[in-house]
Amino acid sequence: MSNLIASMMSAAGALNAYGQVLDVVQNNVANASTPGYADQTEELNAMQFDPSQGLSGGVTASQVLSSRDQYAEQAVQQQTTLLGQAQQDVSSLTSIQSLFDVTGTSGLDSAFNNLFQAFSAWAQTPTSTVARQNVLTQAATVANTFQQTAQGLQQVATDTSHQLQQTVTDINQMSSQLAVYNQQIMNGDRNDAGLDAQINSTLQQLSQDGSITATQQSDGTYTVLLDGQTPLVIGNQAYNLSTATVPNSSTSANPQGPPHLSVLAYDGTDITSQVTGGQLGSLLNTANTVLPGLVGDQNQSGSLNTLAQQFASTVNNLLTQGYQTDGSDGSAPVAGVPLFTYDTTNSTNVAGSLQVSSTATPSQLAAIDLGPPEVSNGVALALSQLANPTDGTGEINGLSYTQYYGGIAANVGNLLSNATNLQQTQQSSVAQAENVRQQVSGVSLDQEATILIQFQQAYEASSKLITILDQLSDDTINMLSTS
Amino acid sequence: MPAAPAEERLAAARAEVRRASELLVDASPEALQSCHGALDRAVSELAGFRSQCAAAPPDAGALSTALGLRSEILRAARLLENLAAFYRGWERILGTMSAGYTARGDAAPVARQGRLYCRG
Repeated sequence: MSNLIASMMSAAGALNAYGQVLDVVQNNVANASTPGYADQTEELNAMQFDPSQGLSGGVTASQVLSSRDQYAEQAVQQQTTLLGQAQQDVSSLTSIQSLFDVTGTSGLDSAFNNLFQAFSAWAQTPTSTVARQNVLTQAATVANTFQQTAQGLQQVATDTSHQLQQTVTDINQMSSQLAVYNQQIMNGDRNDAGLDAQINSTLQQLSQDGSITATQQSDGTYTVLLDGQTPLVIGNQAYNLSTATVPNSSTSANPQGPPHLSVLAYDGTDITSQVTGGQLGSLLNTANTVLPGLVGDQNQSGSLNTLAQQFASTVNNLLTQGYQTDGSDGSAPVAGVPLFTYDTTNSTNVAGSLQVSSTATPSQLAAIDLGPPEVSNGVALALSQLANPTDGTGEINGLSYTQYYGGIAANVGNLLSNATNLQQTQQSSVAQAENVRQQVSGVSLDQEATILIQFQQAYEASSKLITILDQLSDDTINMLSTS
Repeated sequence: MPAAPAEERLAAARAEVRRASELLVDASPEALQSCHGALDRAVSELAGFRSQCAAAPPDAGALSTALGLRSEILRAARLLENLAAFYRGWERILGTMSAGYTARGDAAPVARQGRLYCRG
C-alpha cells in the first residue's frame, strides 16, 4: 500500500513539474516581445527514491536558474547605474565647459589677452586718451566676462538643483509603482511572467537614477534599497526620498556662499554622503564638489573667484600706488584710483560682482611711478607685464593669470573627457551585461559549466595580452610625448 | 612586401583593440577566442610601430592615435573585467547554493560531478 501511495505521489509530483514546464514555455511564447522579459526555464531535478523512507522519487523544479536570472538582472542594473552616472556627468560638464573657452577667441582667455594688449599700448603712449579709453573698455570686457561666467555657473547650479528634484520625483514614482507590483504578488500573481517583466524593466530604469539593490523575498516581493542602506520599497510600501538645501554655518568662512544640496530618506535622515551612483550621485557631485571648486561654498572661495579677486586687487594696487600727475607744474601729485570694484563682503561673489568703477575716467588712470627714479609709464608697464609676470606680482600659486585660468579650463576639460570616455565604455558594458543576461537565461547548468571553463581559459589568455598592451601603450605615449 | 608606415601600424593596433572590445560585448566563448586573436595582433602591430619609430620618428599625429589606443585598451580591459566579475560572482553564489560555506566563511567551491555535456 505504501509503495502504491509512493508511486502515486511520484506521478503527481512529475505531473506537477511537467505542468510547470509547460507553463514556463507558454509564458516564454506569450512574452517574447515584452520589454525586460527574460526567458524562463524549468530545470527538472531527480528526487531521492526510497519507498521505505517515504521518499517517492520523481522530479521537481529547481530554484537555481531563477537565482541566476536574478543575478544577471542585478549585473545589468549595476552597469546601468554607472552609465546613468556617466551620462549625467557628461551633460553637466558639457554645460560647464562651454563657459571656459581656451581658444583665445572668446571668454576670459580672450578678454585677458585684449586687456594686456591695451595695457601695453598705454605703456607706449602713456598720455594718449585713446589708449587710456581702450584700457577702460577692455577692463570692462574682462569684468563682464567674469560676471557672465559666474552667472553661467549659477545657471548650471540652478539647473542641477531642478534636475536633482526631478530625479528624486522619478525615483519616488518608480518606487510607488514597484510597491503596487509587490501588492499584486502578495495577491497571488507571483508566477505572472508579464508582471515579472514589468518589475525588471522598472528596476532597470530605477537603476539609472541611483545605485539600487533589489532582492526577492521568500513571499516573492522585491525589497529595493538605495546604496544598500536606504529603503525605497519594502512589500507594498514605498519610502519616498526628498531633497533639501543645506544651510551654511554662520561661523563658516563664507556664510553667504552657495549652499550644498542634500537628499533625505523617508524619515528625514540626510543620506547625501551615501549616494554615490547613478544620475543622483552625479548631480550631487556636480552640486557639492565640482561647482563649489569653481564658485565656492561656505568653506572655499572657488577658483574663479580667487582669480577675479587676485587679478582685480593686483591691478588696483598698482594703479593706486601710481600717480595721475607728478606735480611738476607745482601742484601736488594726484594719486591713482582703483579700476575695479567688487563685493568685498562675500568672497564667493567676487567674479559675479566684478565691474569697472563707475567713476573711473581715462584721465584718472595712473601711469606714473614717482620712484625714485620717476618713470612716466612705470605703472602702465607694470600692468602690461602681468601678462608674463617675472617677480611674483601677478601670480597665483606660481602661475600667471592666464595660466591659472587655463588650469581651471583644463581641469574642466579633463573631467569632461574622462566622463565621455567612461560613458562610451559604459554603453558597451550595459550592452555586454544585457547580452550575458540573454545568453544565460536559456542555458542549462551543464552547458553553463562548459561555458565557464571556456571562458576561464579565454580570460586568462586575453588578460595577459591586455596587460602587455597596457604597458606597451604607456611606454609609447611617454616616448611620443618626449620626442 | 615593404613594411607599413609606423603610424599605420599604430592605427591598426587601435582598430584591433576596438575589434576586441566589440567581441567582448558579445561575450560568447567563441567571441572570447576571437578576442584573444585580435589582442594578439594588436600587440604585434604596436611592437612593430615602436621598432619602426627608432628608424624614423613619427609625426605629431601619432601621439593622438596613441592616446586613442590607450582609451580603447582601457575599454577592452573594463569589458573583460566585467565578464570575469560576473562569472566569479555567480560561481560564488552557486557555490553557496550547492555546497554552503567553508570554515573560513568563504563560498564553498561549486561541487560539480563528472558529467559530460556535448554540443553539436
